[in-house]
Amino acid sequence: MKPIEIIDIDVSYGAKKILEAITFHAETGEILGIVGPNGSGKTTLLKAMSRIVARDNGEIRLDDRDLDSLGHRELARRVAVVPQDISIGFDYTVREIVMMGRHPHIGRFASETVRDVEICNHAMRLANVAHLAGMSVHEISGGERQRVLIARALAQEPKILLLDEATSNLDVSHQVEILNIIRELAGEITVVSVFHDLNLAAYYCDRLLLLKDRKVYALGAPGEVLTREKIREIFGMEMLVRPHPLTGRPYVLPVYLQQRDAGANRRVHVVCGGGTGSDILHLLHGAGFAVTCGVLNILDTDYGTAMHLGLPCVAEPPFHGITPESLSRLRGCLENAEIIVVTAMPIGRGNLDNLRVLLDYPAKPVIFYARGRTARMEDYTGGEAGAVLASLEARGALRVEGAEELLARLSQEGSGRD
Amino acid sequence: MRRTAPIIIATLICALLASMAAAVALGPSGISFGSLFSSDNAWMILWEIRVPRVIAAALVGCGLAVAGTAMQGLFRNPMADPYIIGTSSGGALGATLAIVLFAGTGRTVLAFAGAMIATFTVYFIARRGGKIPVETLLLSGVALATLLSALLSFLMYTAGRSLHQIMFWLMGGFWNISWNDVAVALPILIGGAGIYLFARDLNILALDEEDATHLGVNVERAKQILLALSAFVTGIAVAVAGSIGFIGLITPHVMRLIIGPDHRFLFPAAALAGAILLVWADALTRTFTSDMPVGILTACFGAPFFIYLLRSRMKA
Repeated sequence: MKPIEIIDIDVSYGAKKILEAITFHAETGEILGIVGPNGSGKTTLLKAMSRIVARDNGEIRLDDRDLDSLGHRELARRVAVVPQDISIGFDYTVREIVMMGRHPHIGRFASETVRDVEICNHAMRLANVAHLAGMSVHEISGGERQRVLIARALAQEPKILLLDEATSNLDVSHQVEILNIIRELAGEITVVSVFHDLNLAAYYCDRLLLLKDRKVYALGAPGEVLTREKIREIFGMEMLVRPHPLTGRPYVLPVYLQQRDAGANRRVHVVCGGGTGSDILHLLHGAGFAVTCGVLNILDTDYGTAMHLGLPCVAEPPFHGITPESLSRLRGCLENAEIIVVTAMPIGRGNLDNLRVLLDYPAKPVIFYARGRTARMEDYTGGEAGAVLASLEARGALRVEGAEELLARLSQEGSGRD
Repeated sequence: MRRTAPIIIATLICALLASMAAAVALGPSGISFGSLFSSDNAWMILWEIRVPRVIAAALVGCGLAVAGTAMQGLFRNPMADPYIIGTSSGGALGATLAIVLFAGTGRTVLAFAGAMIATFTVYFIARRGGKIPVETLLLSGVALATLLSALLSFLMYTAGRSLHQIMFWLMGGFWNISWNDVAVALPILIGGAGIYLFARDLNILALDEEDATHLGVNVERAKQILLALSAFVTGIAVAVAGSIGFIGLITPHVMRLIIGPDHRFLFPAAALAGAILLVWADALTRTFTSDMPVGILTACFGAPFFIYLLRSRMKA
């Protein structure tokens, strides 16, 4: 028995199809996030679940009961909805608004009991609005009003909580505060929430449902759903997907530079290591360059990135120095490359050859890339690396700082050649 | 503010009783307390004329205020009232039909039917995607009122001898009120009680219709029942006293400022205040004018108030 089960539903507004053949269910106590681009039908799906919009066909079951068989009040005792915001015409107090959540529990001829008041007080404490109880809803802030709506939903004592981008209008600290409250509640309550922000969804949800063009595109753990390929497919733009350093959940960053053809498949070799090259591997690959890299240690973050992106990469096992075979493969890459990018990486005996070999290709333009002002090459070779760098610079190698400058420089190099 | 609600309501009850007592004592033929025991005539005037008249005024004022409160809550729009959205006009047309065709019999039934038809007509014309915007509400009210007044003019044109009766009755007033009319007016209390059962639903409807659905309110059914009950109450009020405007607009407004928006307190407060207002309006017109129709007085005060509301809403 699932708390909520959606079986093959279609929804349309007039002649326009909004949702098609949607099937999924939520597990008891989980947070299920609905994500997708604008117009993919997220909000409509939520409205179908709360019976605000009618569906053309298919079935929705709550605890194995048909949604349509429930009366208005019975439905409101099972399912509570937290909207994005509401306009409150009259001057109600916070307590009055929260008490409205008890409406489906109080008969038409009855009035509030002590128990109803206790439930409201408890709900207000959970949502952290108890101190606002006597205030007018017009006197409190947007974040507080949103918490009031959560308290009202909790006063309904629902089994299922539906949130429609309930935090979209708030600043990030309030978003996190409210979603932490929701997180605490999940377990007893099953939560289905529409998210606009992929990163909040990735962190707070147990599973994600990704909608595209009216249909379910993917459903699963955030790590399975928010992959680079799927996001590019859905949003039509390049994103960096990394594990969040603290949570390990996927973290999505848009590549703001919308120059997908900037690279025009020009070949760039990146000499990097120690994680200093991951960002530009993403960036250059996303911008359409044909990127190679190496030589890298197979435990290196940059190697992981290259494999993730499917880039050709010369690699060695750890603590292994660069073998002649690898070196000749590196030479192959360098000969093919139009431009060589060297990141601000630590240089020791093990990877010194990566630099030294560049001296053999005086015709190839070399760019030293530093992610920021403080990034610099750490020389662990007692000055040998420094000497190589100096001679490369003497031959015209450039230093650039930051991804945008790198892209700008690369396109200049390109046009210089044409 | 909300803790004072019971005190305000208790005060209003006392004020209503005092007003009714005062209104019974007031009148063009000065009756002293002592003459009640010495003169049968004085007793007659008091018991057969003034007492039913004052009770009817209180009932009608109460009904109009309750219907106005319900409509303002329902339409989430403080400009709504039975007079402005055409309910009263529909009731007036129905009652006039009864006067012209059946010499006044079935006035209540036809007034009620007319009020109901007019209300639901405006409701369906004004509705845009499940919402009732203020412009469409007022405009469709005006459009329907124009049509109804044309029909009314036609009826009056063909009325012949009963024209005078229709004219006076249309202006709204309480002359010729008998105990019989009080009995006709009594179901206002039943309709008002029915509306009161939806007080909590109205509180929630004031938020947003979708939101109200989420809280377990059957929005469409609540709207239909409330409109039907409001039309019922207004229809009776119109059948008893003609169309008296603006009581249903002003009282809910003023009371909302005093007692807050919670309909569980707002309804009794508005009902009592509406009764007090109409009892005094009637007492003043019959004492200080030669029984001028009370509808003239309420319109004289009500229309400027309506304009004031419209202006302050336009600013906001």
